[in-house]
Order: sequence, then structure tokens, then C-alpha cells
Amino acid sequence: MRSLVRSAARPYVCPSCQLSRLPARRRFASHSTPSSASPEIYDVVCVGGGPAGLGLLAALRASPATSKLKVALVETQDLQKAGSWSLDAQHYSNRVSSLTPSSVSFLQKIGVWDHVDTARVQPYQEMQVWDGETGSRITFDWSMETSPFEDLRTVATMTENSNLVRALLSRIAESGDENLSIFSNTTVSSIANGSEIPDGPDLSAWPVLSLAPTTSSPAQPPKQIAARLLVGADGINSPVRRFADISTSGWDYDRHGVVATLSLSDLDPVHFPLNMKTAYQRFLPALGGPIALLPLPNNNASLVWSTTVANAAYLKSLPPRAFIAMVNAAFRLSMTDLSYMLRMERPSTTSSPASSTSTPTPTLDPHEDELTWRLQHTPQPRKPSQLPPVVNGVQEGTVASFPLRFRHASSYISPRVALVGDAAHVIHPLAGQGLNLGLGDVAALARTVQYAATHGMDVGDILTLERYAGDRFATNAKIGAACDVLHKLYNVPGNGPVAWARSFGLDVIDKVPFVKGLLMKGVE
Amino acid sequence: MATRRALRTLNHLTTRRAHSTTSVSANELSHFSALASSWWDPQGPSRVLHLMNPLRHDFIASCLSDALPPPPPSTSTSTPTSETNPNTLRYLDIGCGGGIFAESLARSITPPSTPTQTPTPTRAASITAIDPSTTLIQIARDHARQDPTVDAHLRTGRFEYKNCTLEDLIAASSSPSSSPSPSTQKKTYDIVTLFEVIEHIESTPAAGISPQSFLTDCLRLVRPGGWLIGSTIARTFPSWLVNQVIAEAPWPVGVVPRGTHEWQKFVNPEELEGWVQEGLMRGADGRVTRAGAAALEGMRWKCMGVVYFPGFGWKLVPGSESWGNYFWAVRKGV
Repeated sequence: MRSLVRSAARPYVCPSCQLSRLPARRRFASHSTPSSASPEIYDVVCVGGGPAGLGLLAALRASPATSKLKVALVETQDLQKAGSWSLDAQHYSNRVSSLTPSSVSFLQKIGVWDHVDTARVQPYQEMQVWDGETGSRITFDWSMETSPFEDLRTVATMTENSNLVRALLSRIAESGDENLSIFSNTTVSSIANGSEIPDGPDLSAWPVLSLAPTTSSPAQPPKQIAARLLVGADGINSPVRRFADISTSGWDYDRHGVVATLSLSDLDPVHFPLNMKTAYQRFLPALGGPIALLPLPNNNASLVWSTTVANAAYLKSLPPRAFIAMVNAAFRLSMTDLSYMLRMERPSTTSSPASSTSTPTPTLDPHEDELTWRLQHTPQPRKPSQLPPVVNGVQEGTVASFPLRFRHASSYISPRVALVGDAAHVIHPLAGQGLNLGLGDVAALARTVQYAATHGMDVGDILTLERYAGDRFATNAKIGAACDVLHKLYNVPGNGPVAWARSFGLDVIDKVPFVKGLLMKGVE
Repeated sequence: MATRRALRTLNHLTTRRAHSTTSVSANELSHFSALASSWWDPQGPSRVLHLMNPLRHDFIASCLSDALPPPPPSTSTSTPTSETNPNTLRYLDIGCGGGIFAESLARSITPPSTPTQTPTPTRAASITAIDPSTTLIQIARDHARQDPTVDAHLRTGRFEYKNCTLEDLIAASSSPSSSPSPSTQKKTYDIVTLFEVIEHIESTPAAGISPQSFLTDCLRLVRPGGWLIGSTIARTFPSWLVNQVIAEAPWPVGVVPRGTHEWQKFVNPEELEGWVQEGLMRGADGRVTRAGAAALEGMRWKCMGVVYFPGFGWKLVPGSESWGNYFWAVRKGV
């Protein structure tokens, strides 16, 4: 679908104003480096070698129509290191993503999935979501659409970002190095419009990047490359977006996401069918956001706990046993109990030497003690499968936190510039959609470039890029807004009308299969 | 910069060449020249035309999949490029204007140096684009410089803009000075394109000029087995409503500048098919040289309607050719 906003508004913007919408300022520079040498010309230059940037490159290399395009990727980090990442089967990175089936099928289509270490990914077939205040619950699975004789379809697949990045790099390497330049360990020192080359093309509307290796001496002259299409996959503070003078709006949630890799007790409640895995998310309105436990292989799980900055700091300062007790408590105790436990005095630093899995020591941790006592006075759900298995260990060095923000660029495109992933949008992680939206952008942009390449269009022309923006802008805005509304809805503590209304909504959705099916397909 | 360009534009307008016998009307010429500065503005008056351009490539690809022009005689060229490179077709774009189609086609040309064995959708090897407006040709050349790929094709001659009329081109291609036997050395093309042109041809019976004679001239430049491909608008009540009343309405409703179209000049598919059949039967000198049935042997006629949906763009809609915009193509028998 074309961008409704854009095309509907077009006739009502007078033509001279439309002209002036073109960015007046097109320059980004950390330090000015003018150069008169004619730049090397590329069809697509992607700034940023994260999953989105690498995904675009892999998609372009995989399609016969675009594999002949001359492409470049610029990344500050060492991609060699990312390409040789490895970790043993008992350890998992704390940077994980939940890939929707459509993201996985895109990765399969472009041949990346074959390079993913599938022993390290974990699909799950069910998601339990409930309100910590009212207990209202919703179960997401595909049971309505599956016959009892086949396995339940996957809701989403957990994968470490490092595993995905390594697979993308390996797929790109497999495509050969013809027409491909990867500038690793390289920063973009400036982006400016090019100039008219005497007896040559007129590059005055083309972005020209000055590249500086992070390792070499500054005396070396920067390399100049011109981009037919410059793709900003360079994150929330995108230099490409600054060059294109695209504004971005949004706010900080004043919340942090606490992440950790956890190990679960072997007393996994027996599921039917046996190999079924479940993700759990409990909204904690009094604590500032939901806590989620997402399954990883070998009885491990990934934690994402969105909470206030103060709570996040408190949780990060706890010794492993107390941290584990807090996580178990957060899925089981009432809001009042949890608020109390988050204000308990921190245990003195005489904790046992940090180990990957905590070994029971005779001395009882005060948080553990508190949890055991309070559990005896808390009613538990009738079905044990509605609760996650007990967490019994936290992998050393994986407890970390990051600020939660909302950002949306006012436009994804400008002449010869397109933004993808976090450069275009940053959303609340409560639905685990961030990376999926980024991969959705990349799939749409690769489709657009492919269409342009087979129809004589200039891949950087605004008429080409309009197709990409029309595809993604409304979709991303809708999902970003939905996550924002959920965040705000589940931040109203107590049993007031808001809590009643949201629980009623959740109950209705859970009971009416038609609505739930629509919702799940929408998310997919 | 802007003022310099405007001055140059004015200059070109005043020094426009006058053609003695031509299918180009002065009114049409000045109308499109006046649009020149905004020709390549994606939000400007030519936006609808820009949006249609990819579909022209689709339609050409569908013609080529129906019947490919036969390979050029292998004896003339000693280079083995035709063996390895399947993209050998020579294009002529008549009435290229600011170069919307010509430039996009030039972009699809793969230089012979690249070892490509895969056919491109258009299979283009070269393109010559002509337009009678000096201003528009200058706009087209200036814009082509902004793309290094297209610029390189212009410099090597695989892509060429000529400021001339169709009549000039025919006169030049069959001039006896270049070769002793003009009939065999006449320059012809695998694909001749005529997008949104036929409805702008002035009918001047006194000078013997009509859309029919214009099409006959176009067909003379098509190699046997090649295609003449174009697009135009049918002369029907819906097309009058859409193109004259709605599309040329004042801003903000209209999408096309006032005076772009004259509904009376629109051409229905059946008329067009009749004209090209007659055109094929007329020989090199405008006389009927072959018996009707023989000239039409191996001929193919193809027609496909397109509809513009505001906010969604152009879509191929089979059957709509009888009441609105449509693509048409005729293949000359081998």
C-alpha cells in the first residue's frame, strides 16, 4: 500500500511548498574534510553493520536482479570479530531477539537461516500474558488453527543477535566479493553532497561519504565514496538521518529494560505435547512495566524486565541469589509484596563468590527468605502451567540494562537516502517487535530496489523510495503506537477503572478466538 | 543556477528551429517546452507520467516474451558479443520529451564490457531518443548527467539524444550520400517506442500529415520482426471526463497541467489498429508496394489498458483499453 498520509496530503500542499520540503541542509560532518578527488561510485551504501544493515546487504546479494549492484557497507565495529563469534552450549548472550515467523521466512528466503546455528535458537509455541494487578490472562497460540494431530505452530523464535549477525556475515561472504566492499573498523567522518565533475557526471545531488579507518593514523587521507542510494541503518543517533535533515520525534519512557540470561529448574511443569515451549509475560503496573521470560535451549531463558530506572539500578546491584529471588517473586507475588521487596535493604557484600549457577549455601538470602514466606500467603493459579518454571541460576556477567525510548522519524526517505531499523524507529520492547520491524524494513527496501533495478528506475530516486516509505511508514507507526498504548495502559496501578477496562479487554480477546486470531496475524 | 537555467530555456525557445514539413504542431511544442523546468520534479506536473514509466518496461517485456526480434545478421559483426550477451536490441524513442522513458531505458543497458549472460527485461543494447523541442532535449541531457551510468552511455554513444523530428531522422537515415544503395543500408531499429505521442500529432490534410502518415513513418524505422510500441488514450466519454474535466481541473484536484490533452485527438484502439495495418501496407515511398495480405503476414497486434488509481498509482487492467489509457504494440512481420 502506498503511503496514505503522503498521497492524500499531496494535492493539498501547494506546489511551491512541496518543493521547499526538500531538505535545505544536506551535510553531516564530525570534522570537515573537503576533497576534490572524484569519489568511487556505489549503487547502494549502507551505513551500519547491525542485523538491519547486514540483512539488507544479504537480501540484495541473494536476488539475481540486485546481485550485480555495486554495494558497500560501513561499520565502526570489527566485523571480523562478529563473524567468528562463538560461545559454548551452556552460555547464552543477553542480547536476544524474538523473531516472528515472517522474519524467519524472510531470512530463509535470502538463504541466511541455513547459516544460523539452530542448536542455539528456541522456537516457542505458546505465550502466556497476564496482568499482575487483576490476574486477567490471555494465551497466545495457534491451537485454533491446528489439528490435534500436528504440532502447534511457532509463535516466535528466540535467537541471540550475535548468532544472527554471524549468520548474515557468513551468507554475505558466501555470495563472493564481486561488486561488494565491506569497510569494517571504519567511521563515516563526513557526508556531503558531491560536485559536478568536469567532463564527467554531475554528482551535486549525490551523497558523498568520507571514510576514516578507526585503526590507522589520521594522516591518511579519507576515502571518498558516492552513493546512488545511501541507507541509514546506523541506529537511534543516525548520522545519515542528520545528513538528510530528517527530524525525529519521540520521548524517553524513563524506564530501563533489565536483561539477563537465566537457567531454569529441571522441574519444568510437564507440558503436552512434551516439546512445547512457552514464553511468559506478566504486567506489573505498580513497578513500571512488564517482566518477560523467553525460552532458550537447554533449559535456559532470557529475561527482559521493563521497570523504573531506580528499580533497575536496585535489581542490578543485587547479588545473584537475591536477583533470582526477585525474578521468581515478580512472576508470583502481588504488587504490594513486590514493592516491599524492592525496598528491602541490600544484603551486605559477603555474598558467595560469583558463579554461573548459584549453589545453595546454608545461609539464607534475605530476599529468598522473604519470597518463601510471602509465597505461603499468596494464592497461586489453578493450573501450574500458567506459571514459568522456577529460575535457579543467572549466568555471570549477563545482568545489564538499557534505557527504553520511543522515536519515529518524520520520514524514512529523502532524495538518495533511506532509513531502516532503529534509525527510522525505536519502540518499547514489550511486544519484542523492534528487530522484526527492522527486518520488515529491509525486506521492503530490498523489494523496492529489486523492482527499480528491473524497471530502469534509479534506485536512489525519490519516486523509487516512495514505494518503500509507502510500504513501511504506516505499518511501523501503527505497531509502535500499539506498544506505546499498551505500555501506558499497564502503567496505571491499583484496581481503578483503567485496570478493570484493560482486564475486561484481555478477557474478551482471550475468549473470542476470531479476535485473537486477527491480533496474532496482525503481529505476524 | 536557477536563473541561468531559465535564461538558457528562454534562449532555446527563441532559437527553435523551424521545420518545413513536420508532424509537430507549434502549439504542442510550446506547451511542453513551457513545462520543461518541472519535467523531472517528482511532485511536479509530470508526476503521473513518471509513475506510469515502470509499466512501460513491463509492457515491453511482455511484448518481447511474445516474440523476440530476430538476432541481427551475424555476418556484419565480427565481435562475438551477440553470442555471449543476449541484450542486443536497438531502441528508438520518438517524442522523448525530457527523457523520462529514454533515460530509464538507457539505465537498463548493460555495458558490453560486463560479462553478463543473463537477459535484462528490456534486452537493450542502445537507444536513440528524438524530440523536436530543443528545450526538452537540453533538459533531458542535463538530467542524464546526474546519473553516472547514463552519463557513461551518452559518452560512449550507446545512448543518444537527437533534437530532430521524425521526418528529419528518416531523411537522414535514407540519405544516399552515406552509401551507394540506400535501400539496404537504411537504419532501422528493433524496438521503436511512441509513448503518449500519437494523441499530440496535428492532422494537417493539406500537407498530407495525419496520425496515420506519422505511424507509417514510424513503421518504416522498425526492422522486420521488430516492435512498434506505444501508449495513448481512447476517445470515450469516461476518458473525456477523466482527462479533460478531472485531470486538468485547477489545483488541488487536477494532476495534469491545463492544455496537455485535446480530447478530439485521442485515438481508439480500433482506429490505431487500422492505421498501423495501412502503414504496414505502405512501402518505403508511401505507395502501396505489397498486396495487403502479404504485408500483414506475421504481424501481431497487442493492446492493454492501464488505469491510474490516485494514491495507489497505475495498474494494468485488461479490458480498460476501450475506455481510457492503454498500451499498444504492433510487430512487423519478418
